[in-house]
Amino acid sequence: MNHMYENLLALGVLIPLISFAILAFWGAKIGKPKSSYIACAAIGLSCIMATYVLIGWSGLDADQKADLTFAAANNQFHWADFGKIPLTVGVKLDSLTVIMFFMVTFIAFWIHFFSVGYMEGHSDEVDGQCKYHRFFAYLSLFCFSMLGLVISSSLLFMFIFWELVGLCSYLLIGFYFDKKFASDASMKAFITNRVGDFGFIVGLALVALYLGTFDLEQAAATFSQQFSASAAAGFDPAHSVGIFKGWNLYEMFGWGTETDPMMLSGLGVATLMGIGLFCGAMGKSAQFPLHVWLPDAMAGPTPVSALIHAATMVAAGVYLVARVFRLLTPEAQFFVAVIGCITLTITALIAIVQNDIKKVLAYSTLSQLGYMIFGMGVGAWVAALFHLMTHAFFKAMLFLGSGQVIEGCHHEQNIMKMGGLRKKMPFTCWTFFIGVLAIAGFGIPFAHIGLGGYFSKDEILVVAYERAYNHSHGESSAKHAGENLEKKDAESHVRLASMTDASLSQFSILNSTLAASGGDGSHAHGTPEKEKIGATLPHLPKWMFWLPIVIAYVTPFYMMRCWWLTFMGKPRDEHVYEHAHENWKMFVPLVVLAAGTFWCSFSLFRPMIAEAGGVAADAPAVVAIDGVAEELKDLPKNKLDPTMLMVTHGEGLTNFNNPHIALGWIVGFAWIIGMGFAWLIYRNGVAVARQIKQVFPLNHLHRWLEQKLYFDHIYDNMLVMGSRVVGTVCYTFDKWIVDGLVNLTGILTRFLGNFTGRQLDMPVKKNDFGLVDAIANGLAALFHDFFGSIIRRPQSGRIRSYVILTAGTAAVVLLLVLF
Amino acid sequence: METSGLLNWIIFIPMIGAIVVLFAPAKQARSITLATTFLVFLASCLLFGPFLNGSYHEGGYGENMQFESKVEWIHVGGFNINWHVGLDGISFPLIILTTLVTFLAAWASWNFEEWKVNRGPKGYFSLFLLLETGVLGTFAALDFFLFYIFWEVMLLPMYFLIGVWGGPRKEYAAIKFFLYTLAGSVLMLVALLAMYFTSADVLGGAGTFSLIEYATDGRLQSVFNDPNKTFLWEGWKFGHVMFIFLFIGFMIKVPVFPFHTWLPDAHVEAPTPISMILAGILLKLGAYGFFRVCYPIFPEAARDLAYFLAVLGVINILYGAFCCLAQTDFKRLVAYSSISHMGYVVLGCAVMTDVGFQGAMFQVLAHGISSPMCFFLVGVIYDRAHHRNINDFGGLWLAMPRYGSMATLGFFASLGLPSLCGFIGEVWVLLGTFNAGSVHAEFTWAKPMAVLAAFGVILTAAYILWMIQRVYLGKLREKYADFPDATARETAILFPMAVLAIFMGILPKYTFDLMNGTIDDVLATMTASLSSVSSFAFGG
Repeated sequence: MNHMYENLLALGVLIPLISFAILAFWGAKIGKPKSSYIACAAIGLSCIMATYVLIGWSGLDADQKADLTFAAANNQFHWADFGKIPLTVGVKLDSLTVIMFFMVTFIAFWIHFFSVGYMEGHSDEVDGQCKYHRFFAYLSLFCFSMLGLVISSSLLFMFIFWELVGLCSYLLIGFYFDKKFASDASMKAFITNRVGDFGFIVGLALVALYLGTFDLEQAAATFSQQFSASAAAGFDPAHSVGIFKGWNLYEMFGWGTETDPMMLSGLGVATLMGIGLFCGAMGKSAQFPLHVWLPDAMAGPTPVSALIHAATMVAAGVYLVARVFRLLTPEAQFFVAVIGCITLTITALIAIVQNDIKKVLAYSTLSQLGYMIFGMGVGAWVAALFHLMTHAFFKAMLFLGSGQVIEGCHHEQNIMKMGGLRKKMPFTCWTFFIGVLAIAGFGIPFAHIGLGGYFSKDEILVVAYERAYNHSHGESSAKHAGENLEKKDAESHVRLASMTDASLSQFSILNSTLAASGGDGSHAHGTPEKEKIGATLPHLPKWMFWLPIVIAYVTPFYMMRCWWLTFMGKPRDEHVYEHAHENWKMFVPLVVLAAGTFWCSFSLFRPMIAEAGGVAADAPAVVAIDGVAEELKDLPKNKLDPTMLMVTHGEGLTNFNNPHIALGWIVGFAWIIGMGFAWLIYRNGVAVARQIKQVFPLNHLHRWLEQKLYFDHIYDNMLVMGSRVVGTVCYTFDKWIVDGLVNLTGILTRFLGNFTGRQLDMPVKKNDFGLVDAIANGLAALFHDFFGSIIRRPQSGRIRSYVILTAGTAAVVLLLVLF
Repeated sequence: METSGLLNWIIFIPMIGAIVVLFAPAKQARSITLATTFLVFLASCLLFGPFLNGSYHEGGYGENMQFESKVEWIHVGGFNINWHVGLDGISFPLIILTTLVTFLAAWASWNFEEWKVNRGPKGYFSLFLLLETGVLGTFAALDFFLFYIFWEVMLLPMYFLIGVWGGPRKEYAAIKFFLYTLAGSVLMLVALLAMYFTSADVLGGAGTFSLIEYATDGRLQSVFNDPNKTFLWEGWKFGHVMFIFLFIGFMIKVPVFPFHTWLPDAHVEAPTPISMILAGILLKLGAYGFFRVCYPIFPEAARDLAYFLAVLGVINILYGAFCCLAQTDFKRLVAYSSISHMGYVVLGCAVMTDVGFQGAMFQVLAHGISSPMCFFLVGVIYDRAHHRNINDFGGLWLAMPRYGSMATLGFFASLGLPSLCGFIGEVWVLLGTFNAGSVHAEFTWAKPMAVLAAFGVILTAAYILWMIQRVYLGKLREKYADFPDATARETAILFPMAVLAIFMGILPKYTFDLMNGTIDDVLATMTASLSSVSSFAFGG
């Protein structure tokens, strides 16, 4: 019974794999509609299990949850050994897993459902053979990989599933691979992700080297132990331990001198590890500068865009950051925040000028992912994950809506040719509008009413506000965190801590460092360390607060533009308009997901994530602001775990008493302003916009944005062409120099052979010289012709001559011997 | 032990088969060969039971060789040459790999008649079987002289198989292959004699050719690793010279830059089954030589030269991958990818840690599965299209869906996708290299080297995906539209390799279990000879 939940989750992961296997081997025989039922049934079953687990889990109290987490952590499968480090795989069972698992299966099920309708027309049209089942096989494989990623307890396994979702993404983007742009896009996606994975591998290597384990829980425990020990020593390289010890660059590169070696400071290596792991997230979550693949990925079928490139896989990067949050140093976090901030800004700007309905959504996804990553970076762990959940619902819905539109308009994706579609597809129109409201951050400030996007974005921005404007924040929040922990120690945090310790000591596979840490692991949770940790938090530059604020005004603008141009106004292309229609198999999921968007805004999600946040509370740089805590008190089912850190505001705030009030004034009405502005411009079609983009500075800006800020150009011309040129150079070198030397050796040897054989030794052909032979022959001839005749002459038979000759020779020899 | 006879039988059954082929009617040649290789494969599978039950890694390196048999062979003229064969964790998986890949290659030769070569099948199939004897003997030999003889036995059939049954430039490729390997063998012969006579000096009496004694006998080890003992030239350390001679001999076979150019030529000209054997097994002989000869016997030299070896490994990885990007010949691309992948083996060996060795050994086996698969996949479309120009293909997945799926799997295994076999070896080697500094303090170059090598991950993805795009994706060309999908025979050949690629990828433990014990023994032997290192274990 103890393992029921984790077993259910593990089973839920495996069911889609079985579906994949069935479809991969017998899909062609199973045929067109039936193979889709198998995939739907599989993910539906997983979804039921996930729902069961979710309901069961939310009925447990904190102790029981901790017990189950502990039991799951001890129920591991021994996979292989990495040197002497055992690699184990198991289920990471906590609130975050449960909620993510539910979210993925729920959305995936409805997208499968949608796909049945969506693929009806598609498959035969493309190539007439067995592609239909292949689509559902890939979807099943994706579900398996994504769910595996969610439940993995080990970083190495996260990496493995990480690559598998990348593979599925590759296969599905390139689903219409007979089209060049689709196969180009799939390749771009995979290789860009590999660039991120390169960093991930370096991060993994650092984890293995310094933390001695891949298990998330153990790694975090070791990290925090090393952190506190090093913090106690003031991060002095000499006295720091493990990953905080620092690299001697003299030994490695000869930088500095032997007596005064250049050191990479201790925090540097730890930060490098965090950044390395984050590089993986940058690839998957398409963060600047690796964001280029996601817009192209829209070449895949629309359900795929909804599932993989909006709701789940691209969010995996955020999920990874959430999981490794406790391994991030403040500097690494700052790096995360900067990347997120840049991404959310540039992609939102590009979204304004896109005309392809899916591209608009793709860039808005990028921008929202940027918000999540930014939230993680500033320490708004809970808010970022909350945003992930709400975004998954409304963005999946938006994409399915766009799929409905595209399918209804016979593969027309250009919003400039649409307009007025509300009459033809009312369900799609209004569900899409809910999505627009959600992403725009619809809500009424000061009244705590709004859609999910409002709350989650607000929370992220509140934390950013605190970090940027509350100067004494670092210390005060840390103090609060510490105090809070102190207070709650008696209740349940001590339980968490002891659980960690107990789980550590009970792992039979522990190496000695970890065993040592088990004893004083709880030490890391004490107040002084927390305070030091807090004090090291860097101050957030103000632009990093204001950029997301500005973009919060841009988001509603481009979303409203997209919606209005598609559904409202007059039809701009009669042909497209006439054929537009709706398909019930496709709008049912839309309605369900729209309902989900409402529901997840208010219900279960937020508190459960907050509860999971308790697990991340011992991160060195957690910013322990839970701004919405008070508001959420009134909401039903709000059960905040006592381990969740809460900080009340008030100190050090000069302008406003409460950051939420402040934010209410700053961005609370952004949605209505942005949407209103878009309505003003586009209410009569695109004419006004055309005029605006002719105006002087805007025309250049428009061109820049239309060219996506030239990232693709730069990458194509420098990196892709560059590596191809290097490849050609290498191969030319190989062919002419390396192999040339080999052939030259051969030629020289043959030449030498010819020379010695034919010129020196014996002629084979007419003109050969044959020195040895010539000498021999010459000698022979000499003897024969010359000496012969000389010798013949004395051989006259006359004895006298012989005597004279002999005497003469003897005389010569005698002379030679004597002198 | 009665099982010791089994190993001898396994080595010689192919040779008997070769003789039978010579006397049987030409039409039966391929059936006899297929039956023989299958028999050998089954026989080698019989080894599994006793091997897994036997304590092959107890008592240190070489103490508990399985299926060992030792017979006095040449003892005239003061020589001490024995027929000494046996298996441990390094050689056993390679024996299984050899029998499997050879069997599959024999099956891949089934359409010999369609190759339109003028030479008959008898010579081909008998040489094919002779080659298997040579390879199996090399893997099993524990006597250096015997090792050398089998090494040469394997060389000659390969020369003829490429040179007679190959493509347009077959003579050039065959001679290049032959002379290159022979050049390596000469160096090996010099080392062999020097080691033998040194052992005769040290031990007194006849000396020894035993590879195990070389590594474990303390007297020999102290001489072999003696920095004051010189060879050939003033200041040339004996151990270093021996190591370099042997290493060059093996690195030609692996092949390691700059001695690699015979490989693309040989592959391009060789018929498909021969390419499978060449990539799947013959390259592994070089790597096996590192594990069996170079490292256990000359650890001191290995550590002193580690930097250069690691550099060569990294060059192999990156240079091979870059060369792949420039290829238009499908088979040449796969050949260069072999060079790139074998670089991981060299790098893993060079860092001399348990993780590195495990990774290198795993990579040897993984590449032994994935590269024959890739070569066979190339062969399948060559049989249909009669050309290998990558840019001329397109959309083949549409024409051949089953084959396309298999090809994707095979090439992704080669790419190192997690959950397939290529990944484990790569990651073990990369992480092992990165962490080598924690075992050998003087390997400060290890981390930058690992980071450099990790770039290979990106390049590999680039060239493989680009190739897949050009060959399998895109619009189906008219002239390929009627290509039949993979036949039952072709699918059956690909299937075991596909299964193994997945199995090794998702449950690497069972593969590691076969070899880790011996790898630990080898490292323990090396530790005993190296004073300053207490253990090669990482994370212990």
